[in-house]
Amino acid sequence: MTPSDETGSGAGWLALFLVLVLAVLAFAVALATAIGDYSIGLRTVTLAITNGLGLTGADIPPIEESVVWDLRLSRALVAALAGAGLAICGAILQALLRNALAEPFVLGVSAGASTGAVCVIVLGIGAGSLSLSAGAFAGAFAAFALVAILSNGATSGPNHTILAGVAASQLFNALTSYVVTTSGNAQQARDVMFWLLGSFGGVRWPDFQLLCAVVICGLAICLWMARALDAFTFGDEDAAALGVPVARIRLILFAVTAMMTATIVSMVGSIGFVGLVVPHAARHVVGPLHLRLLPACAAVGAVFMVLADIASRVIVAQQTIPIGVVTALVGVPFFAIILYRSRPQT
Amino acid sequence: MWNKSPAVLGGVAAAVLCTSVQAEPTTYPLTIENCGQQVTFAKAPERTVALGQNSAEILLLLGLEDRMAATAFWPNKVLPELEAANSKVEVLTVEFPTLEAVLSKQPDFVPAMLVTLMGPDSKVAKREDFEGLGIPTYLSPSACSTTDTTTDAYGSRDKLWRMDLLYKEIDDLSRIFDVADRGQALIADFKAREAALRQEFAKKDNLTFLFWFSSPSPADDAYLGGGNGPSGYIADLLGGTNAIQTDAEWPTLGWEGIMAANPTVFVAAQVDRNRWDLDDAKTKVAFLNSDPTVSQMEAVKSGRIVVMSGAAMNPSIRTLYGAEELASQLKTLDLP
Repeated sequence: MTPSDETGSGAGWLALFLVLVLAVLAFAVALATAIGDYSIGLRTVTLAITNGLGLTGADIPPIEESVVWDLRLSRALVAALAGAGLAICGAILQALLRNALAEPFVLGVSAGASTGAVCVIVLGIGAGSLSLSAGAFAGAFAAFALVAILSNGATSGPNHTILAGVAASQLFNALTSYVVTTSGNAQQARDVMFWLLGSFGGVRWPDFQLLCAVVICGLAICLWMARALDAFTFGDEDAAALGVPVARIRLILFAVTAMMTATIVSMVGSIGFVGLVVPHAARHVVGPLHLRLLPACAAVGAVFMVLADIASRVIVAQQTIPIGVVTALVGVPFFAIILYRSRPQT
Repeated sequence: MWNKSPAVLGGVAAAVLCTSVQAEPTTYPLTIENCGQQVTFAKAPERTVALGQNSAEILLLLGLEDRMAATAFWPNKVLPELEAANSKVEVLTVEFPTLEAVLSKQPDFVPAMLVTLMGPDSKVAKREDFEGLGIPTYLSPSACSTTDTTTDAYGSRDKLWRMDLLYKEIDDLSRIFDVADRGQALIADFKAREAALRQEFAKKDNLTFLFWFSSPSPADDAYLGGGNGPSGYIADLLGGTNAIQTDAEWPTLGWEGIMAANPTVFVAAQVDRNRWDLDDAKTKVAFLNSDPTVSQMEAVKSGRIVVMSGAAMNPSIRTLYGAEELASQLKTLDLP
C-alpha cells in the first residue's frame, strides 16, 4: 500500500465518484420508500414524503402516509447511516490494526452487545426500565473497555489488540450462552436470538436522529485524524517518527469506532460483511489515503446497505430475511469480482 | 355442557355458541387495562389481524373467524377442530410477519401473543405503531412485562404454571368483541375439563412423566419439558409430577441423565415443524424401543410410552388439549 496515486486529478476523481455514489444513494432511498408488502401508488408515496417534509398538506390515507414516512423512509435512512458507519469503522480498524481482516466487531463489541441484551431480557437487570438497546450498548462498551485494558490502553501492538478482542468475544459469547442455557426459558432464548439477527424492522425516527449524530461526529473525528491514519499504515515506529502520538490517537480512534459500532449493534443487531468488504472495495476505487477513503467508504457502505435492506424485504413476501444473510449473499459475488480483477498479474 | 371424551370436544366452539351462560353485553366505548396500558375500543373489531397462534386460536374458539382479516406466526398446526374455521382466514406467514403486511390488511384491532411480535424491542411492531393510527392493540397477559421481566413471561418458574392468565385473556377478548357469554362459556368449559381431569386422576406419589420435545439427533442431548412449565402442569393435572425438576423451561439432558430420572411414563411429543427427524413422535418411539441402552428403561420395557402434540408444551390453550390427549392414553396403560 503506497500513496503513489496522490495526484491532483485524484481529488477530481473522488468528487466525481462521490457525486455519482450520492446520486445512486438518493435513488436507492427513493426506491426503498416505494417498495414494500403494502402496495402504495407512486403518487401517494411522493405525497407522503412531501407531506412529511411539510411541503404539501395532501389528503392521503393516514395508514399509507405512516407506512411510507414512519416505516419506510426512517428505515432506509437508518440503513444508510448504519452502512456508512460500519464501513468507516472497518476502514479505521484495518488501518489501526494493519490487518486486512479487521472489521467493526473485531474488538468484541458484538459479543458484548449480546451479553448486555441477554442480561436485560433474561436476568431482568434494570427491571423493565432499561431498554434492550441500552443494555446492548452498555454490554458493547464493557467489552470494548475490557479489550482496551487487556491491550494496555492500546499501547501494545496491533496483534496484541486483536488477540484481546478475540478473548473478549469468546468470554462474552460464553457468558451469553451460559445465561441463556441456565436461566432462560425457551421464549426468552428465542427473543435473544431473534434480536441478535440483524434487522432494520424495529427502527423509527428517534433511532435515525441518534444514529445521525453519532455517525456524523464519528466521521468528522476520523477525517480530522486522516493524516495520522495514513501514517499508521507504515507501522507504529514510523508513525511515531512522523510525529504522530501513536497511543493517544489509537485509543481515541478505537473509542470512536466502538461508540459507532455499539450504537449500530444496539439498534439493528450485528450485521456482518459490510464493515469488512466495503473498505477494500472503496480502496480499490479511490486509493488508500484516508481523507478520500473514509468519505468513499461512507457513501458506498450507505448505498450497499440500503440496497441489501430492499432485497431482504422483497425476497420473501410478507416476511423479512435477516439482513446479514443478504449482505453476504449479495456482497460476496460482488467482492469476488473485485478480488479477481485485482489479482497480481504474472 | 362439557363432554368428558376428547373426541367429542371437537364441538367446543359450536357448544359455546349455543350455551346459555349469561354475561353483560359490552357497552362501547370500552376501555380495558392491558399490560399496564389503557386500551379503548369504539366498537367491536371487524378486521382483526391476530399475531401468534395462541391469540388466533382463542379468537377461533370464540367463533370470531368472520371478524378476522389475517393471522401470522404459527409454530404448530392449527387445532384440528378449528381447521375449517381457520381456513377462512388468510395466513400472512407462519413466521414473523412484517408490519407493512399487517397494516396492508387495514386492521381495526391487533392482538399479539408475544412481546417479540408486538413490544418495545420487537422487530415487527410496537404498540405505538398501531395506536398512532387509531388501531387498538392487545398483548397476551401471559406475555406482559410490566414490572418484573425476570419472573415474567409465562408465570414465574419457581411456581407451577397455571391457566389463569389464559382465562383472563379469553375474558378480555370476548368482551372486546361483545361476545362475553361465549368467553364465559369457554372459560367454564376449560375449567370443567381441568377439574374433571383432576378428579379422574388421583394424586400418586410415585408417578412421574418425562416430556421429550425433540432432539437434533439420537446422539444429542434431548430437549425436555422443564419442571414448572406447561409440562409440569400437565403432569400435576394427571396426578403425577414432572420427572425433570429444573427451573429452566426447556432444559437439555443427555440420555444418561434421562435414564437416571427414570420416569414412570415417557411422553413423546409430536412436533409439526419437521426441522429434525426426531420431531416426529413415531421416530421418537422407534428410537426408544430400538436403542440397546434406552430400551432397557423400565418405562420403555413396560410399553409406557404415550404421544402428545408438542404444541401442548408451549404455554397456551393447547396445554389443556395435550393433558386430555395424555389422559385418554394413560387409562389404557398398566401403571405400577
